[in-house]
Amino acid sequence: MSEDCRIGVYICNCGTNIAKVVNAEWVSAQVSGLPNVVCAHAYKYMCSNPGQELITRDIREQRLDRVVVAASSPRMHEPTFRKALEAAGLNPYLLEMANIREQCSWVHDDPRAASAKAADLTHAAIRRVRHHKPLEKREANYTPATLVLGGGIAGLTAAVELAEANQQVFLVERETRLGGNVGRADLTAPYLDSARDILTEKISRAKDSPRIEILTGTELVDLQGFVGNFRATVKSAAGDERELPVGAVLVCTGYQEFDATRIERLGYGRYPDVITSFELEKRLAEGRLETDDGRVPRYVSIVHCVGSRNPRYHPYCSRVCCMTALKYGHEIKSALPAATVTDIYVDMLSFGKGGEDLYRRTSELKTMFLMYEKGDPPRVRPAERGDDCGLLVQVNERLSGEIIDVPADLVVLMVGMEARSDSDEVARITGISRDPQGWFIESHPKLAPVSTATEGVYIAGCCQSPKDIPDSVAQARAAAAMVLAHVARGRIEIDARFAEVDDDLCSGCRMCNELCPYTAISFDAERRRSSVESALCKACGTCVAACPSGALSARHFTDDQIFDQIEGVLAWSSNR
Amino acid sequence: MVVRANPHLIDELEKYGAQDVVKCYHCGNCSATCPFSGGAYLFPRKSMRYLQMGLESRLRGTLEPWLCYYCGECSDQCPRQAEPGETMMSMRRWLTSRYDFTGISSLFYRSWRAGLLAIVIVGLLTGLGLVWFGLARGSLSVYDGEGAFLPAEAIHRFDWAMAAVLVLLLGINCARMWWFTIGSDHGLRVPPLEYLRQLPRLPLHFLTQKRYRECDRKRPWAIHLALMLSYLSMLILIMFFLPQVQQGPEINWAVHGLGYAAALGLIATTVYALRGRRVRSETHYRHSHETDWIFLILLLLVAATGVAQHVLHRAGLPVAANLLYVVHMMGVVPMLVLEVPFSKWSHMAYRPLAMYLSAVRDRALAAAAGQIAATGQGAATGQTAATGQIAASRPSPTAQGAAS
Repeated sequence: MSEDCRIGVYICNCGTNIAKVVNAEWVSAQVSGLPNVVCAHAYKYMCSNPGQELITRDIREQRLDRVVVAASSPRMHEPTFRKALEAAGLNPYLLEMANIREQCSWVHDDPRAASAKAADLTHAAIRRVRHHKPLEKREANYTPATLVLGGGIAGLTAAVELAEANQQVFLVERETRLGGNVGRADLTAPYLDSARDILTEKISRAKDSPRIEILTGTELVDLQGFVGNFRATVKSAAGDERELPVGAVLVCTGYQEFDATRIERLGYGRYPDVITSFELEKRLAEGRLETDDGRVPRYVSIVHCVGSRNPRYHPYCSRVCCMTALKYGHEIKSALPAATVTDIYVDMLSFGKGGEDLYRRTSELKTMFLMYEKGDPPRVRPAERGDDCGLLVQVNERLSGEIIDVPADLVVLMVGMEARSDSDEVARITGISRDPQGWFIESHPKLAPVSTATEGVYIAGCCQSPKDIPDSVAQARAAAAMVLAHVARGRIEIDARFAEVDDDLCSGCRMCNELCPYTAISFDAERRRSSVESALCKACGTCVAACPSGALSARHFTDDQIFDQIEGVLAWSSNR
Repeated sequence: MVVRANPHLIDELEKYGAQDVVKCYHCGNCSATCPFSGGAYLFPRKSMRYLQMGLESRLRGTLEPWLCYYCGECSDQCPRQAEPGETMMSMRRWLTSRYDFTGISSLFYRSWRAGLLAIVIVGLLTGLGLVWFGLARGSLSVYDGEGAFLPAEAIHRFDWAMAAVLVLLLGINCARMWWFTIGSDHGLRVPPLEYLRQLPRLPLHFLTQKRYRECDRKRPWAIHLALMLSYLSMLILIMFFLPQVQQGPEINWAVHGLGYAAALGLIATTVYALRGRRVRSETHYRHSHETDWIFLILLLLVAATGVAQHVLHRAGLPVAANLLYVVHMMGVVPMLVLEVPFSKWSHMAYRPLAMYLSAVRDRALAAAAGQIAATGQGAATGQTAATGQIAASRPSPTAQGAAS
């Protein structure tokens, strides 16, 4: 700890965001007398240029060597204030922020208590900042090659995009053919373009590109290293392993369809004329729209939300099924104009460009739309003697309140999307987190939709959540752009904050190896010590807390810093 | 009870004029905008739904299409141009064909050519019959009095005989309407007195079309009332005062005055309606079924020839008057024989009857609900009470309850 450090404290009003509950002037007065505090100011907007200039001027004129800013969350403006420190010639890590907006003024309404809490938080920051040390960011080389995992529409798009920018791509696909689930579809919604046309173009561009190495029948078995410097081990069906040096990994592993046998009353697997949407796609593509025994169906019933939007199976919407079902209306009607199509749905989600128009056009084809209650799917049973159809679908119809029997020769189940059963394995290897449904989690749902918690590993397409072709393509191109931004920079910056192992204290128990959420810790068998790959470490502190020998410490989050911060929070509490 | 959906019903209704029912996605704007929709009768949405789903039995038992007067608000408000107003109109045509036990109505509505052919055949037969009758008894040059070509008394007897047959046919159809909407609903117990108590509604609605007036748009009501009253006046004159009407050459203002007014009313309103349908001047004129044209043209023809033969007689041209009289009858007879029990004319009976039956039905349901509330009966009947509102809007909910 620096005993004679000189600290400047700045308390932000954030317009009225903080000032309406917290008295910044009062907080400023409270902390100004504390040891090492050279100056304390309250100001309207600390993040503004004049606010930052206030800091830089004080650093120069008052010879400050530590700065505390009590303002909004550090997630908002920590980089701003670090830049201010740098501008004044101070190491940016000599800054500490106290969050008196999100964690104080926004959540309290008693001005006295809130101001007291703001003073406590600021006090804690002052105590902590005394332990800060100047830290230096480091840089590493960036390997421009990229591993694209998955040869569906997302993976193909990303690969082609990267190759267009003259970058080397390894396109790894587990199956023997490219195309993924789009390759199983006949036409696409809402414009009824051929799925094959869309794919063939991408596949031939990928195959023709000298920059793309396509590895079908191959899977990723191991991924080591960090952003810009990954070593990916892939294994072919024959068992040959190969290590690929790559700078980034794009995970585009897609989805699998819901197993319709799980909903017994739909009769899938029991009645041959109850088929899934993928089985219908196959028949449509083959131009063989008929029942199991080769008859031309007169009545086709399409059941929506099979496995989707049902708390017993999957709570989410699979996003493509409604539009696909509407598309079937067109395909069936154009193949068999005399056939009657019934759409048995929960809610018609015809969002997006062209969606509502397709819905209207399908209505005009005299498609019968029946609405069923979520969680009460229709029941399929064989038709009765004398019926002119093979099956009967019983629907508890919500818009009329009637229970009705709908004739059907073919029942098509719009099976929803679910996370692939091997997604946990992919997640483990690539260091991606999964949500409770198994979908890969992005860094930020709105602002960082294709990044993951592991830098250099990106996700695109349906492995993140159900989505349609345009969204998958957009994500793939976004991920490619992220990679190209790194490539353009050529080098990567590594955060100065990371965990370190004290070799003298480490007992080699390896407890931290398994706990690290970023797979940043590995075990050196020769030295019998664990070591942290600093470029992978996010300084989360999990290993530090877990280490039974106290061998691990995180830079910028040392025990001294944390304990003094806690004491700072509690310092005044006994007096109030 | 499970009802079987018939996906083909919608195709069937298209022949009756339904056009864009499939476009409806049940936002409910139509029912919200309709001044009559509410409480137990949530139309047009509910009927649109029955039709989309092909629930034939439900549709057959509903009174709702008759409670709609087609002001057109719903069609104008529909965000999908599903034409709910026209759908209700087509359902009235379809219901007319269901009430008719002979199947003739269904044939005429589904094939206007068949309807027109029937009109021509009946017209020609009437013409031939009258010419044969006239020549056998009288002279073409005598219009009234001794030796008249078509003596008023004979025509009068013929009119009454025809009326008796038509009333019988229409009566049977009305009875079927009652059976479909109330009678076959075994769960619905109508207190017999209610049939008597609600009886005044029949003439009230028939003569004033009170409900039509409650539509936000008043002009369609005024035109329709003028047409109906003109028609009624003429009917009364012909059925009760034919000898006085026919007798000339002097003008007997007591009967002829009313006759002139009625003829003027008929011609003016039919011309207005025909023009409206041609230029689609109002929402309810936007779509026209062939039977609408046939009905209006026939009415105009009959009114015009009636006026013409009267004028010719007064102008001292008995031969021309007699010939035109035959032509007039060639229009009147098919119009009445074919339109009264089998086609558009029948709504003159069904509409007030629907007002009456819906009132009876409401009272029966209210009585049942009150009774259950008072005695606090068990679950089986309690359900009917609890769902009274919904039940009322369904054709036969209590019948379902009893069956299941």
